[in-house]
Amino acid sequence: MDDLKRNRIIELLQEEKRIDGRALKEYRSISIDVNVIPKANGSARVRLGDSEVICGIKIQPDRPFSDVGEKGIFICTAELLPLSHPTVETGPPNESVIELARVVDRGIRESHMIDLSQLVIKKDESVVGVFADNVVLDYDGNLFDACSYAATSAILTAKMPRWEYGEAGPELQDGLEPLPTTTIPVSTTMAKIGGQIVADPNSDEWDCMDARITITTNSDGDICALQKGGRSGFTADELATCGEIAINSSGKIRETLQAAVSK
Amino acid sequence: MSERRKNVIPGDVITTAPYRNDQNTILDGRLIISTAVGVSEISDGVVRVIPLTGMYMPRIDDMIVGKVVTHTSLSWELDINSCYVGFLPATDVFGRDFSARSDELNTRLKKGDLVAARIANSDRSRDPLLTIVDRDLGKIDSGELIEIPSSKIPRLIGKRGTMIQMIESQTGSMITVGQNGWVVVHNEDYNGLIKAKKAIRMVEKMAHLHNLTDKVRKMLEAEK
Repeated sequence: MDDLKRNRIIELLQEEKRIDGRALKEYRSISIDVNVIPKANGSARVRLGDSEVICGIKIQPDRPFSDVGEKGIFICTAELLPLSHPTVETGPPNESVIELARVVDRGIRESHMIDLSQLVIKKDESVVGVFADNVVLDYDGNLFDACSYAATSAILTAKMPRWEYGEAGPELQDGLEPLPTTTIPVSTTMAKIGGQIVADPNSDEWDCMDARITITTNSDGDICALQKGGRSGFTADELATCGEIAINSSGKIRETLQAAVSK
Repeated sequence: MSERRKNVIPGDVITTAPYRNDQNTILDGRLIISTAVGVSEISDGVVRVIPLTGMYMPRIDDMIVGKVVTHTSLSWELDINSCYVGFLPATDVFGRDFSARSDELNTRLKKGDLVAARIANSDRSRDPLLTIVDRDLGKIDSGELIEIPSSKIPRLIGKRGTMIQMIESQTGSMITVGQNGWVVVHNEDYNGLIKAKKAIRMVEKMAHLHNLTDKVRKMLEAEK
């Protein structure tokens, strides 16, 4: 990033203004289309400002992990396509993409959104695996939230086939049912730039932030997952502010998610 | 769309008439064929395709905006939004009595600085040579960089500069347009800057539409 823009962002923030005209705690517009991939069990495309993510859900029988034979499997991944940004190359994911997948995974897992105990076909033998694969089509910062909304809305609209355990292992039955969900996690990301806290940083702000924090809340408004990144830190007061922003803005975002999936 | 302008994709035959083929077209016997996705244009016996997107290809005398990436003891290297790196020789900034031993390049331009420059020399075999020896060229001290595809710069400038002048006067901004798709907007007024940026993004999105200047003007007037 050029120095002029970096200085400009920091200067504006001292006056509590942002480079794209938003208020400090304001999110960019979110638009969600569900069932965009006909062949997937569930899918969603999310646009958060100019960031764009598509998520596909695959549901299939799998061997359970040996230590949790009474629970199904949930795995969330993320990938950046080279067309999403000029600096993205093909090849194995870098650290930030691995972190992206893990933070999105953790938000959904730790909110216990999917009731994994209902995904058992036969205890210790066969369970249902849910795989949420996020693909970033366009990058304009804050992929944590964009991917999280995409995965969440895809899970909410996914249709799960049914299996019964027979002689040859799990056998596919007729009919589809929704995934057993208990809550709607909403991820919110805040950046600290020059001592100011901003919600939903765009790519310019992302490039010059000192620290960031991603907080996931569940439908009850409780914080269930958290990830801090960047070289600098947050004071106790700043953390409290971030928590407030997370809880306050998540309500409206959750409504947007619910409206999109019930369409 | 008129007979002379049409949407083309690579491989489309634009015309079989005896015209000269120009950028993004090839001549195959009598056929002039497009090599890019874009709009074909026939004027003054010359056929060219204006691409919808693509890298900036340096052309001599283009005014561009570059970002300093690094420097050697004799020249700066500038990111000019192209597959080529721009070279700005130190003698251009320090003058003819430049000495690599005593003059430190860092003191004039450092990494991350934006520079308005002109392409002094360019052929495809080596990286383009830049110059800042001219009016209105040199280090950019204020403003905000906006990146749009270089193919949309002609629409941003408009016929005889109508579009850019309209955006400048409506928003009270000063806009430096680089042919490489990098645009620097300067405006002391925060709201004016946001409006100018919105107008530029609108030109970027709607570059293929007619009457764009009127559409942008209407948008800017509605914002007031």
